[in-house]
Amino acid sequence: MSVSDLVLSLADNKQMLGLRYAEWATRAPSLEADIAAAAMGLDDLGHSRVLYGCLEPLGADPREQERESDPSKIRNLAYFDEPWTEWSQFVAANAVLDTAFTVVIEACVNGSIEVLRHRLRKMLLEERYHFLHGRSWLRSGIEGAPLLQAWQEALEFFGPPGSELEGLSMGPDDMRARLEQQLETRAPDVTIHWEVWDPLRRRAAEGAMDEHTFGMLRGLEEKKYAPPAAARQAAG
Amino acid sequence: MSNSHNGYKRVSGDAVEYEVFARKARVDPLHLVGSVVAPDADLAMAYARATYDEERWCEMAIVRKEDVIRLWSPGES
Repeated sequence: MSVSDLVLSLADNKQMLGLRYAEWATRAPSLEADIAAAAMGLDDLGHSRVLYGCLEPLGADPREQERESDPSKIRNLAYFDEPWTEWSQFVAANAVLDTAFTVVIEACVNGSIEVLRHRLRKMLLEERYHFLHGRSWLRSGIEGAPLLQAWQEALEFFGPPGSELEGLSMGPDDMRARLEQQLETRAPDVTIHWEVWDPLRRRAAEGAMDEHTFGMLRGLEEKKYAPPAAARQAAG
Repeated sequence: MSNSHNGYKRVSGDAVEYEVFARKARVDPLHLVGSVVAPDADLAMAYARATYDEERWCEMAIVRKEDVIRLWSPGES
């Protein structure tokens, strides 16, 4: 596992987080929360583009051709596999997972790899408002299940304890402590099966995103809306 | 797909209106660009930034509307 692998996973997760945020842009509890969902979605989709752009300067681009046809090659956490049906899932992702990704970005910005130190710095400014949003909603109280899942997957994303990556300022143990500090709470007791943990997708659960979401990412869904003549032209 | 918000309450009791002020350059005065409704200042900051980010502001600030001391209002001067 390399820094490039971590950056690709971060990019894929930011893309999925942005997409899931955007799905709530008309379904949040208030107009302000709708607008915040849309704005945070745009931020995270932008962050994913910056992260994908770092892969070439980092050297080996780990993106495989199979990503075009196989959703299990996309390195997103299981939390983003399906659209969220409850506001509490949004809040848990916003407070815990978005903050966990920011912790990893901090480790990159404060690390020794120049391209990451420079290109990712601006993300930290934008993420401040995601954090305020998530923390405030979290304080209002949400259901336990999504929160527990978000914590579990955040810890899985950080990686097995003791597995440090060269060039980053923090390892998994420091990242966990930083996340706990940010959220002013201890991580819940969760059992992570590191023996089946996938170091590329940074998750222990099998599975992949739903077909509709994968189609959207690949641009395949757009073809359904094209007039028949244009679709034939595009196909031919 | 359900859209259940049952059981959620706004964070610190009743929602509060915050006025949003901003300026584009240091030489400009801060001026009122709008308002947001939020239960606390953290969320109000996040909402203000999300709602009024169409301009490249060099400064943005929020203040609880009830904290603004009015000397007079329209029609009273």
